[in-house]
Amino acid sequence: MRSPAAIREWTRRWIRRRQGPDPVAVHLHRGRIYILPTRLGLAFGTMLFSMLLGALNYANNLGLALTFLLAALALVAMHACHRNLVDLTVTGAGTEPPFAGQVAGFRLNLANPSKVARIDIEVGNAGGQAEPVSVPAAADATVRVTIPTTRRGRVRLARCEIATRYPFGLFRAWAVLHPDTDCLVYPRPAPDAPPPPQSAGASGSGVTTRGDEDFTGLRNYHPGDSPRRIAWKAHARGGELLVKEFAGAAAPAPIFDLELAPAIGLEERLGVLAKWILDAQGRGEAFGLRLPGTEIAPEPGEAQRRRCLAALAEFDPAGAGDA
Amino acid sequence: MLERDPGMRRLAWTVGGLAAATAPHTVHLQLWVTVLALSICAWRLLAERRGWALPGRALRGIVTLAATVGIALGYQSLTGLDAGTALLTLMAALKLLETRKPRDHMVLVFIGWFLCLSSFLYGQGMIAAAWVLPAVWLLSASLLNVARSGEDDQPLRPFATTGAMLLKALPITLVLFLFFPRIAGHFWGAPSREQAATGLTEEMSPGDISELSVNDTVAFRVRFDGPVPPPNQRYWRGPVLSEFDGFTWSRARGQYFLRPAVEYLGEPVAYTITLEPTRQRMLFALDMVREWPGDMAGQGWDFQLWTREPINAVVRYRAQSYPHYRAGVEPGAALRNHSLQLPPDRNPRTRALAVAMRAAAASDEAYVEAVLRMYREQAFYYTLTPPLLQRDSVDDFLFNTRRGFCGHFASSFTMLMRAAGIPARVVGGYQGGDWNPIGGYLIVRQSHAHAWSEVWLPGRGWTRIDPTAAVAPERIERGLDAALPDGEPVAGRLLRNSDLLWQARLIWDNANARWNDWIVGYSPDSQEQLLESLGFENPDWRQLGLLLGAGLILSFAALSAWLAWDFRPKPADAATRCYRRFASRLARRGIERLPHEAPRDFLQRVRRQRPDLERQAAMITEMYLRLRYEPAPAPDDLDRLRGLVRAFRP
Repeated sequence: MRSPAAIREWTRRWIRRRQGPDPVAVHLHRGRIYILPTRLGLAFGTMLFSMLLGALNYANNLGLALTFLLAALALVAMHACHRNLVDLTVTGAGTEPPFAGQVAGFRLNLANPSKVARIDIEVGNAGGQAEPVSVPAAADATVRVTIPTTRRGRVRLARCEIATRYPFGLFRAWAVLHPDTDCLVYPRPAPDAPPPPQSAGASGSGVTTRGDEDFTGLRNYHPGDSPRRIAWKAHARGGELLVKEFAGAAAPAPIFDLELAPAIGLEERLGVLAKWILDAQGRGEAFGLRLPGTEIAPEPGEAQRRRCLAALAEFDPAGAGDA
Repeated sequence: MLERDPGMRRLAWTVGGLAAATAPHTVHLQLWVTVLALSICAWRLLAERRGWALPGRALRGIVTLAATVGIALGYQSLTGLDAGTALLTLMAALKLLETRKPRDHMVLVFIGWFLCLSSFLYGQGMIAAAWVLPAVWLLSASLLNVARSGEDDQPLRPFATTGAMLLKALPITLVLFLFFPRIAGHFWGAPSREQAATGLTEEMSPGDISELSVNDTVAFRVRFDGPVPPPNQRYWRGPVLSEFDGFTWSRARGQYFLRPAVEYLGEPVAYTITLEPTRQRMLFALDMVREWPGDMAGQGWDFQLWTREPINAVVRYRAQSYPHYRAGVEPGAALRNHSLQLPPDRNPRTRALAVAMRAAAASDEAYVEAVLRMYREQAFYYTLTPPLLQRDSVDDFLFNTRRGFCGHFASSFTMLMRAAGIPARVVGGYQGGDWNPIGGYLIVRQSHAHAWSEVWLPGRGWTRIDPTAAVAPERIERGLDAALPDGEPVAGRLLRNSDLLWQARLIWDNANARWNDWIVGYSPDSQEQLLESLGFENPDWRQLGLLLGAGLILSFAALSAWLAWDFRPKPADAATRCYRRFASRLARRGIERLPHEAPRDFLQRVRRQRPDLERQAAMITEMYLRLRYEPAPAPDDLDRLRGLVRAFRP
């Protein structure tokens, strides 16, 4: 006799073998949906059986009819429960990279083509259950499944379940997805990192740095530009989004260098860099990053932050050694 | 009264469902049970609204124990149907006191369904069913409400959803009902006989039958294969009462005699009786019955049919009787002696009268005629409200009050016969019946209850003599109403006098008869008949299983189709189709819209990747959004959107 855990594990592997990895958009057709009674469903079955025995014992036809009506209701509920998942399309809708120690979020988009809403769809994985969502008729809804992280790099959403117990909770229908999607995990920022050394920027080579002292002109808006620099008046007049440019005589934008991070181990130094990046971005300053084999030119903004943190997350000292 | 608070709403649903399931029981529950259950419900609702703390475990335990003891004392039992129902009701109410989690609500819904089932053990009439159906509906809606994890903005949605599901469940229910094999027999013994028997009993004291005559409920319905026998042959034999203590006639218990041979004469009458539950063991049949379902009942030495178990549900049986017969021409000595017994020191004046009258008559037949003539010619009155009789009831009736109902006449006549040495006994049963022309059957009501005499005459055997017919021949020919003067409390007299009401009543009775035939009385025999009418020869359980399977497969297919129709894709409206064309043209240029991307987000991306398309894309997006989401878009907006998309060539 196998233990329940072993059976569950075996089922998991069987489903994985049966379905293989999933493409970006998964259409939940009938063959992908499994259904079993819940514990409430089993209790309901027991109740029906005793009602049946009672009605037969007393040769009570209306009692039998009531029992049959409830049994038929359960069967309809089983169909409805299964149907609640059929024809949903699940698409990856991006990830939310966390810092190590936080949870990684994977957004999934559920598209319902039908004329009726899909109610109480539960999405979950080994890391936990998302709050159930309902997908309105002919519309989409987004759910977020999470995986806890411990270290930087990448976490993989190897498997997740889309399930429903609607309408009565007597049955649970579920579909298993193997999205094989990765999510970056940034290094955990060192909380007590010292400020970056002033000389950090000195190694900046010939980059036009942009300060905020002398206005030099307007240029097109790029995503990541600080909203404080958008020429709102010009936007109100013409509609184009323009950004004011200033020539900075101020200190050149710093380039944070792994070599210069004051810490002992590699991971700790990466954490210090992450902290510097966050601080600089929080102040709205431009910054760059230098790792062995990688250099990112200084720029301000959210996109730059993401770029730099991603480089930290994926930094591989062995690979860098070859470069 | 739509509750905003989900906890309160949930509780209100459950309490409503339970109340609906318990309501039919209030008729037979002891009053304190109903009151206690209602007050607990009210308190619990109030506690939810005011945020009061629920009672702790110890208090609940004490209350539960007290309720159990109360039921044990009040009902003298904890297991019978009455006590069980009371216990279930109180436990449901007490469970409310600890109901917080969805699980507790689910337990309550299950109890509610059981209460619905037990209400059918009390009666299976149309009204009971019509009441239970909404209760089941409400309970299911309550379960749906509890099982939902999200909140609904429409509080009545669970009701509508469950209604639709119950509708979908009906075909499967029908298939199961028709073809599910009915396993006969009891798994845990016969239901307890705690309810009072209805109708005729195995005893008759003066006044018993006149109590029944005010009861207009249906005893049984009869469908004849051929023509209906005339009223004076409609004697439905019930209990035969052969023991007399001077006041009360009762059935001979523990005494068995050989059943005398019967010679059947003339043409038989075949008919089907649908008998309402009597909680007794007797079956009724026309005199003299020759064929009846042998596995259902046996015939006693007094020609009465007895079943093995009390009749607690509607039963249907076919029988064949011969109105003309000669029964027991040669009676055994034991039976003869038994049919002559009289208590020695009771009713002395009647004894003297019998001896005198028999001496004056030439033969037994002449003596019978003389007694009947006495009833007819002297001042005897037929009435529903006779005066109370003394201990020697027959003396008191014959020489004193002289006002009586059929029981009085049958009792005194039989006594006169026995005192004169003629074997005689009282036969209880029903006489007559209302013809229902709408359904083509005879309704026999409790008010048709009757008592007559059977005397043994040489050469003729047991012969039916109805002394009531001597006094009130209209009773036999035209029924109670015709035989009694105005002012007597005859059941249904008002209805009989109004043509319209009487018609309505017949229609209602016909509906009840059909209900009994098709639903309540649906039996293994009915299944066999159904199978035969579907073309199976010698049907057995295999054909039944086959039909059950086929029916279930068919109804599942229908259910799937129905659900597929419910879940069919919503066709895109014209604006969406235009917008999709726009998106697919962009996709061909490498800008693909993600399924979760809102139109405005998509526009941002288009603007970033192809600034040259910005103007057109923005106009299309804005126009599309206006058409989709604005309450009243301008009529030519759609045309404009179409034009824009047609001109859009990225």
